[in-house]
Amino acid sequence: MADSKSPKTLARSFSDGLNSIQFGFFAIELQPVVSFKYNTVVNYNISLASNDISIAKEPTMRSLTLVSRNLSRRKGRSVLSSIGLILAIAVIISTFTISQAMEMQVGDEIEKYGPNIVITPKTQSISVPYGNVVTGNVTIPESTIERIQTIPNKANIRILAPKLYGQVQYGGDTILVVGIIPDNEIQLKKWWSITGDFPRNGTNEVVSGSALQSSLNLTVGSTLQTNDASFLVTGTLNETGSVDDYSIFVPLSMAQSMFNIVGQISIIDVGALCKDCPVEIISQQIMDAVPEVRAIPVKQAVETRMKAVEQTASFSLLLASIIMVVGVAGIMNTMLASVHERVKEIGVFVSLGADNSHLYKMFIFESIFLGLIGGLIGTLAGFFSSMLLGPLFINVPINPANTPLHLIPVVIGLSVSACVVASLYPTWRASRIDPVKALKTV
Amino acid sequence: MIELKRITKIYEMGDSQVLSLNDLNLRIEEKGFLAVMGPSGSGKSTLLYTVGGLLTPTKGDVTVKGTSIYQLSSRQRAKFRRENVGFIFQTFELLPYLTAQENVMLPLYLSGASALEQEEAGEEALERVGLEKRACHKPTELSGGEQQRVAIARGIVNNPSIILADEPTGNLDQKTGNEIMHLLCELHEKDKLTLIFVTHDPSKAKLANRVVEMLDGHIVTR
Repeated sequence: MADSKSPKTLARSFSDGLNSIQFGFFAIELQPVVSFKYNTVVNYNISLASNDISIAKEPTMRSLTLVSRNLSRRKGRSVLSSIGLILAIAVIISTFTISQAMEMQVGDEIEKYGPNIVITPKTQSISVPYGNVVTGNVTIPESTIERIQTIPNKANIRILAPKLYGQVQYGGDTILVVGIIPDNEIQLKKWWSITGDFPRNGTNEVVSGSALQSSLNLTVGSTLQTNDASFLVTGTLNETGSVDDYSIFVPLSMAQSMFNIVGQISIIDVGALCKDCPVEIISQQIMDAVPEVRAIPVKQAVETRMKAVEQTASFSLLLASIIMVVGVAGIMNTMLASVHERVKEIGVFVSLGADNSHLYKMFIFESIFLGLIGGLIGTLAGFFSSMLLGPLFINVPINPANTPLHLIPVVIGLSVSACVVASLYPTWRASRIDPVKALKTV
Repeated sequence: MIELKRITKIYEMGDSQVLSLNDLNLRIEEKGFLAVMGPSGSGKSTLLYTVGGLLTPTKGDVTVKGTSIYQLSSRQRAKFRRENVGFIFQTFELLPYLTAQENVMLPLYLSGASALEQEEAGEEALERVGLEKRACHKPTELSGGEQQRVAIARGIVNNPSIILADEPTGNLDQKTGNEIMHLLCELHEKDKLTLIFVTHDPSKAKLANRVVEMLDGHIVTR
């Protein structure tokens, strides 16, 4: 008899609409037959090698069925009670999304702000402050560059632009000559725009600053005749409003041979970006790695903006945690009301043989369910609101590809644990209910 | 066999105490069919719940099949209820958000039965009470008599040896009440269940093999 039950049940399952059949590697044969007992529907005889078959079908009672049914009968209230939680999760998600977008925006703009660390020799005999650069007789070896790239935060160094300063005489005037690595310099100084091109290999070829170009009437292809040598102008630098306008630029190697200091440089401009550590730390790391240099952090807009982003983010998170506390209280309140409402139901459960662990399971499951749903809704709300509000209010476009997806499991975990915490007291109350009194309440 | 020895149950109601069962002795044979009568407040329901392991007596000892059930831990007593007792209530007490079959499967869910076991036993129990065609209906879609049948199916689904019914026909009209009593009698006869039920109706009590009348927590007739 026992064997005949399984096919019958399966048959009914099929006719009722089966969600899924899971089985190992057993073949399953379906044969339509007309059963006498269920003569209204065509059933299936199933023959299979093993009875290792489990059916996930709606009428099966599981904790999940129980919880979802119970919650779905008071959908409105479940959602209302989760609003605090949903809001908190949404604020957390949008805070991270927007601040990450802002950080990336600041990061993209780093080049606009130029170098934020300047590396100079530690001891300088005769220093000539000139704009933000220092010229002097003391130089540092070019190999310093490699040593800088060994610091712990080396990944935060975006650009290293070494330079060698020197002077040439033009009549009675002195012209500043800067030996550079053109590609690095262009990367660091995004605002530079050149008519013509940088000298790449040629000797005695230069790019001239705009002030020199206009006062000496230089154009691309013309010759600059100094007291000692003559240079071919391959490009001119458009006006920058800085000391660069009064300089001529030559490849570093050419400057080194011109001034007869091979393998030496005057300074290194560093473009570093570090969200998590101040630029001072990178400077210190450089000085630790290369004791004979001085690395001077340049305070500037990037940091100010980063700070603003961080402050906004931490304020939002503070706000989110307050909302979270309110949300937890809301859920606790609803669950207490739910326990109160379901006193009789709890009495029935106990009379049917439920012990405390069953009650705990029911309520904790319910809270996990609420937490999952609330977390998901909150996450979606957070992403959508940041995409909507980011560009509108703080002028930060949110790229969906850059949303912090790794946060989703974290916030959903947070939401679930908040709900579980909120359910502890109501669950304890439920477990203390006297079943007989409960059954006698009308 | 069920044996109640010198059972006293006192309810604390604020400052006053209510004596619900007063030094009560009762012995119910295995496969017995007992009707409990008496005026309201005489302790009928208290007696029923005490036998079912839901109500710890203030004094005395309840033994079911040789086990002193109130010496068990509450967890073990819950297991005892799951395995041995089926409760039937005056107001049915079906969960409104579950279908008839799901309600019937609840005790199996509590005892950790597999999906297949739940489904088979649930279906079989509904067939026993003649409601297999109403399996997917919610309680609100069922008549009072049908609801009580579902509740009976839920009571027997775990194959208990004892059915405890607290005024099972109290909320039903005469005809439906008789049908329900007929069903209970049938279960008692066919399944050899011990059946104890509380009733106000002497015509229903007559169906039982034995009738006890209670007054002020005592049994006055045997």
